[in-house]
Amino acid sequence: MFKFIKQYAETIDNVDIYPMISLFIFFSFFIVLLVFVKKMKKERVKELSNLPFENEELTNSTL
Amino acid sequence: MQVEKFYYDNRIVKNFAYATILWGAVGMLAGLWIALQLVFPQMNITQYGSFGRLRPLHTNAVIFAFVGNGIFMGVYYSLQRLCKARMFSDKLSNIHFWGWQLIIVAAAITLPLGLSQGTEYAELIWPIDLAITVIWVVFGWNMFGTIIKRREKHLYVAIWFYIATFVTVAVLHIIRSGQLPYSWLQSYSWYSGVQDALVQWWYGHNAVAFFLTTPYLGLMYYFMPKAANRPVYSYKLSIIHFWSLIFLYIWAGPHHLLYTALPNWAQSLGVVFSVMLIFPSWGGMINGLLTLRGAWDRVRDDVILKFMVVAVTAYGMATFEGPMLSLKSVNAVAHYTDWIVAHVHVGALGWNGMLTFGVLYWLIPRIFKTNLYSKKLAANHFWLATLGILFYAIPMYWAGIQQSLMWKQFTEAGQLKYTFLETVTYMKPFYAMRSLGGTLYLIGVFIMFYNIYKTVKTGKLVANEEAEAAPMVKEYVKHTGEHWHRVIERKPIQFMIVSLVVILVGGIIELVPTFMIKSNVPTISSVTPYTPLELQGRDIYVREGCYVCHSQMIRPFRSETERYGEYSKAGEFVYDKPFQWGSKRTGPDLAREGTGNLKKSDGWHFRHFREPSSMSEGSIMPAYPFMIDQAIDTASTASKINAMRSLGVPYEKGYEQFANQELMTQANAVRINLKMEGIEVPANREVIALIAYMQRLGKDISNNKTATFNK
Repeated sequence: MFKFIKQYAETIDNVDIYPMISLFIFFSFFIVLLVFVKKMKKERVKELSNLPFENEELTNSTL
Repeated sequence: MQVEKFYYDNRIVKNFAYATILWGAVGMLAGLWIALQLVFPQMNITQYGSFGRLRPLHTNAVIFAFVGNGIFMGVYYSLQRLCKARMFSDKLSNIHFWGWQLIIVAAAITLPLGLSQGTEYAELIWPIDLAITVIWVVFGWNMFGTIIKRREKHLYVAIWFYIATFVTVAVLHIIRSGQLPYSWLQSYSWYSGVQDALVQWWYGHNAVAFFLTTPYLGLMYYFMPKAANRPVYSYKLSIIHFWSLIFLYIWAGPHHLLYTALPNWAQSLGVVFSVMLIFPSWGGMINGLLTLRGAWDRVRDDVILKFMVVAVTAYGMATFEGPMLSLKSVNAVAHYTDWIVAHVHVGALGWNGMLTFGVLYWLIPRIFKTNLYSKKLAANHFWLATLGILFYAIPMYWAGIQQSLMWKQFTEAGQLKYTFLETVTYMKPFYAMRSLGGTLYLIGVFIMFYNIYKTVKTGKLVANEEAEAAPMVKEYVKHTGEHWHRVIERKPIQFMIVSLVVILVGGIIELVPTFMIKSNVPTISSVTPYTPLELQGRDIYVREGCYVCHSQMIRPFRSETERYGEYSKAGEFVYDKPFQWGSKRTGPDLAREGTGNLKKSDGWHFRHFREPSSMSEGSIMPAYPFMIDQAIDTASTASKINAMRSLGVPYEKGYEQFANQELMTQANAVRINLKMEGIEVPANREVIALIAYMQRLGKDISNNKTATFNK
């Protein structure tokens, strides 16, 4: 099986297309990510970002 | 709902905190020592203390011991609180802690002994590699165990960074550790030449990404809001930051190999993704800094916030500089110089160091239920550290650019203006200034050591900190149209798988074609395997860490081909396990050392190894007189030949039986050459093997002027 794939891969000429493919993959990934993040609900976001503080009083002293 | 009572384990946090302080001091002390060696070569004391062996000790100590323990300190503290649960198993926590410290001790012993794989940041020998794998699994097991038994439904952004760190470091470590042992301690890389280089910098770059960056971003997302007492600036931005960062980082490795013999398409891939990396990186930096919105006035008084602001700013500077250095025109100047050294130290001293200190000052008083002993001392530490970074980085930037320009300078007659040695001696004052910066930074660490010692004395460790939370409801009914990210945020294993897929996409597209497609590494018919003596010599070269100062990769620039000869081709390295291209030219390139204008007599090399400054006045290279006394390890020749053959090097069957015979014949020839130059030395000495290796470098190509490239 591996040999078969290897032989097949050895015959690929247009290896230059790899960078284009990768750019395309990332671009689509990023757009999908952006759309989903855009659709998040505000209260939910607030709740999530408060996770480190649950059950704690916010005070002004850090030391 | 019934509230459950449980206890956070603070003892393990304390242990890792102490370890990060201790190893931080050790690693930085080693750094200061080797920095001084470049000014005073006499400080290379014995073979165990030479620059080539101590530099890997410095880098490994800072990355895996200082930052490594810093990661675990932060993870064990924040993970428990974010999951509202004690760590999954105290036993696993302890195995993790002691296992990691043992690995560090093993590294600190083996590296000065010259036991090294010769690949940057992956120098540790195979038994230690195995131990790292086991301990890393223990860490992951403990972390996932905790996440699974958590009482908080959602995984906060910091935890995603921890998960991505765990899974990616595992993948990187396993792939980089591909090697075939030829003895109980040593091995040869599975990969060779260009492929080894690609694997190495895919690993090396992502070690920076997933060991020095993503876990620390997780710490930033937890500790910065805690210290500033306000939630992170934008949670949405943190989602985008996380996914784009881990997706992009994994592709960027080839920017370490621009203008080398790496196939062009892979270089372009590295450049494009490196430039894109600036966006998620700066997204993260902005998210960190804007967390301080409305609290900037407190930065003036609160030393913890000061440390964190400088850390995040240094992260911003380093991640702006990284993409710039990946542009080919900038890289042409910066590569092989001290510019890169400055760049990584802004990251290590600024980002990792300052964030670690901030977290330590925040966390120690809390787990000891006390106040920090002295805010004033902490403030002094802050200023010493900040000035130390500047005193370190500025001379190195200056030196790097200056040296590169000197390397490239031609006279009006069209000849190189400076010899390599002239550019080295020019660097000395800069190296001295850099040591001053390092000293300031280290003094700051000692002050912190004292401050924390005093703090601990006034308090008492709350080993088991009481907490309460309602258990998590197991049956959760999915709302229709629920946000996808909310779903995977609840499911750590699925989350890990998605992160794994995201990082594998880049890795596969980058690595597979180079391995599978023959046209990527054109073979050169005149390139032959090393003779047994040269092979032994090469292993000595690897043992002494020569690659930390000498490159073996001539880039296709006139300034380099004039100085060193024909530029390097991918096909020249097919038998190089590991590849030794190097990343820094503290000394000159050696790719054509045995040929052309660079060729020197055996006697020259002998005298140079014995006392470099006797042949090159002002040289800062360590002396290697011990190689004249030590005998070549001929007992290993057969197993080395066998291992190489198993890895595809075409030594004939049965060759191992008379390899030592050939080795002695060649060694005798070198001995006779030396005798004619008035040097008496037995043929079986290490220096003879190393001379043979030096004389071999570049010869394959010069043997074949017409250089047929066979597809």
